[in-house]
Amino acid sequence: MEPAPTVLHVDLDAFYVSMELLRHPELRGMPVIIGHPNARGVVSTASYEARRFGVHSAMPSSTARQLCPNAIWLPPDFSFYGPASSAFHAILRDFTPAVEPAGADEAYLDVRGSERLFGTGPEIAATIRARVRAETGITASIGVSANKLVSKVASDAAKPDGMLVVSPGTEAAFLAPRKLRDLPMVGARTAAVLESLGVTTIGDLAALPESLLVAKFGNHGRELRNRAHGRHAGRVAEGRGSARSISRETTFGEDESEAGRLRAILRGQAERIATDLANTGRSARTVSLKLRFPPFETITRARSEGPVDLADDIYATAVSLFDAAWAENGRRPVRLIGVGVSGLQPRARQLRLGETPARDALAGTIAAVREKFGDGSLMRAAELGDRH
Amino acid sequence: MKVQVLQENLQRGLSIVGRAVATRSTLPITANVLLLTDNGRLKLAATDLDIAISAWVGAKIDEPGATTVPSRLIADFVASLPAATVNLEIPERGRQVKLECARNESTINAMDAEDFPKIATLAGGNAIEIDPKALRKAIERVEFAAASDDSRPVLTGVHVRSEGTKLTFASADGFRLAVADIELARAPEEPIEVVVPARALREVSRLLGDAAETVEMRLNTQKTQVQFTLTDVELVAQLIQGTFPNYSQLIPSEYTTRVRVSLEEFRREARIAAIFARDGSGIIRLEIFPGDGMPGRLKVSARADEIGNNEGEIDASVEGDASKIAFNSRYLQDVLGALTGDEVALEMTSPSSQGVFRPVADEGYVHVVMPMFVQW
Repeated sequence: MEPAPTVLHVDLDAFYVSMELLRHPELRGMPVIIGHPNARGVVSTASYEARRFGVHSAMPSSTARQLCPNAIWLPPDFSFYGPASSAFHAILRDFTPAVEPAGADEAYLDVRGSERLFGTGPEIAATIRARVRAETGITASIGVSANKLVSKVASDAAKPDGMLVVSPGTEAAFLAPRKLRDLPMVGARTAAVLESLGVTTIGDLAALPESLLVAKFGNHGRELRNRAHGRHAGRVAEGRGSARSISRETTFGEDESEAGRLRAILRGQAERIATDLANTGRSARTVSLKLRFPPFETITRARSEGPVDLADDIYATAVSLFDAAWAENGRRPVRLIGVGVSGLQPRARQLRLGETPARDALAGTIAAVREKFGDGSLMRAAELGDRH
Repeated sequence: MKVQVLQENLQRGLSIVGRAVATRSTLPITANVLLLTDNGRLKLAATDLDIAISAWVGAKIDEPGATTVPSRLIADFVASLPAATVNLEIPERGRQVKLECARNESTINAMDAEDFPKIATLAGGNAIEIDPKALRKAIERVEFAAASDDSRPVLTGVHVRSEGTKLTFASADGFRLAVADIELARAPEEPIEVVVPARALREVSRLLGDAAETVEMRLNTQKTQVQFTLTDVELVAQLIQGTFPNYSQLIPSEYTTRVRVSLEEFRREARIAAIFARDGSGIIRLEIFPGDGMPGRLKVSARADEIGNNEGEIDASVEGDASKIAFNSRYLQDVLGALTGDEVALEMTSPSSQGVFRPVADEGYVHVVMPMFVQW
């Protein structure tokens, strides 16, 4: 059976710049650079107008200033980009569980098996582009093919705000005229070696005999040749983005300023998270705390200490993060409070000689009761602080 | 000093004492090996101050004396020489050792034997005679369960205790406990209870090799040192001071499930499961099914989220209830590796309490492993 083009590489166009343009529409059409313009800064993202001057991501700010002296510099504001990134990934997961995030602003999808629900790969790509634009206000470019490698090159070629489908069987022809450096895995050093052999396009590379490439680069050479022909075996890593964390949040109708009540809510959230962990047989490496002060000022704090799975341990970390973070912020009234855990792994603990798993057993019993009778059926006395 | 010694004798002696040479030391002379004439033989000795090994080799002594030379250098040099007589000579008040063998000649800078740490040979105190094969077996059954980190120094040692003619070796690292017994031909004059560094016992086991002659173990009267005397070889070690935990209470006397399986099959299935366990959380799960008249089964499994699963089954004689228990892959492999005989028995009461391993045809060994607390 001929493979269908079901692998999508979705990439937000100049993500940080696009986000800034949403709140600074007056800058549209101008060369905008996100980054710190000081001597030691680097460029995070450049608008397409700035890219015309040769500015690109990861370039030292000093170089960018020389190339494009009239650029408008904005400092990155990750708390503003984060929610859009989450919304973007959530849209992708509506089409398939096989979503492999490759950063805040890009991801690979394999939509095989979703065709009957949502249409072919290219149709799904069109739908995703429309939804991203409607729901986040910014644009995405998508490459569609039978593998990750070709889709990645295609989405780069489609930018900005475009889409490119490479039919199975035409990968090599699609890649052939492109510049060597457009091929992922070809860095500066590999390119220099290849250029000394007279290779300037991916097609030139594909035409080299395998023996020569193996002689020059070892096994890497064989892979290089496969890639130049558009062959790539990497699978979309399913589920990597799914249950990577568990969190609970509470938003208050009226901003809350009483420490006892806030801590009691944290206690309850830690209990629920511990129950979720128990039910999925996992423990977590990292505990994080989220606080929002009105109107939308959100801070997060996290700490990683050995695997935790018991409510007491999650609460202890969360409350110490809370006490420190709240004091730092002048103990202002809180709009939202939440606890999360991440770095999930199968739960297992080596018992010591003479030790009994009494604490684990209690946690298991609590989880079982809540599973059967509901979250509210069994509560820690400490949680009652939030019931006046 | 002037000595003639056969190359192969000198090489053997150097390789025996070489294990005690200090690798990292603030005392440079401990990187040397001591050479001295002793009652018509050549004595070689090395120490890192924790243990000392001495070996005697046959030699023709033309002129008595003593010196020390860098261990690595002389060992590598002698090992490369042809099988012939080595002439070893130090001129009066000379600072260099001259070595001649066949048509090869070299000089090696020496350090004064007077500066070498004194190596005691224990006499008096309390001594026992031990069968070398039994000693080696007991050491190999316990040494790996001693702690490798120093947070509780006493656990880096092996507890050795006598009771009548029974000599018991025990080690524990906080997660597992190994206890092996030896039957002595004669009870010691006074009961023994000491903690010997596991490393010293590992060296003793290595020195024993296939030796057939009885080994003497001697404690000095202050109970600060132990000496093992083999044919032409002595090892002296500093004892670890401190109280070894009372471990007898950690060996459960009862069980609710006992499973008996072929050691060879269990080893094989554990080895296969370990391949999967190493890419996951390092856990091997055991499930025990009684047979109800038919032979029962022991299921050995491991899973790695990103890789896959493995499940193997072996026939088992099961006494008591169906049960399950999970172990750290390395601990399980260690104990199965240390066991001998055709069959092994595993006794347990719950998935979260001790697993007790015993060789079926041998009362002299018990190994307790704490399980991993896992979600089943």
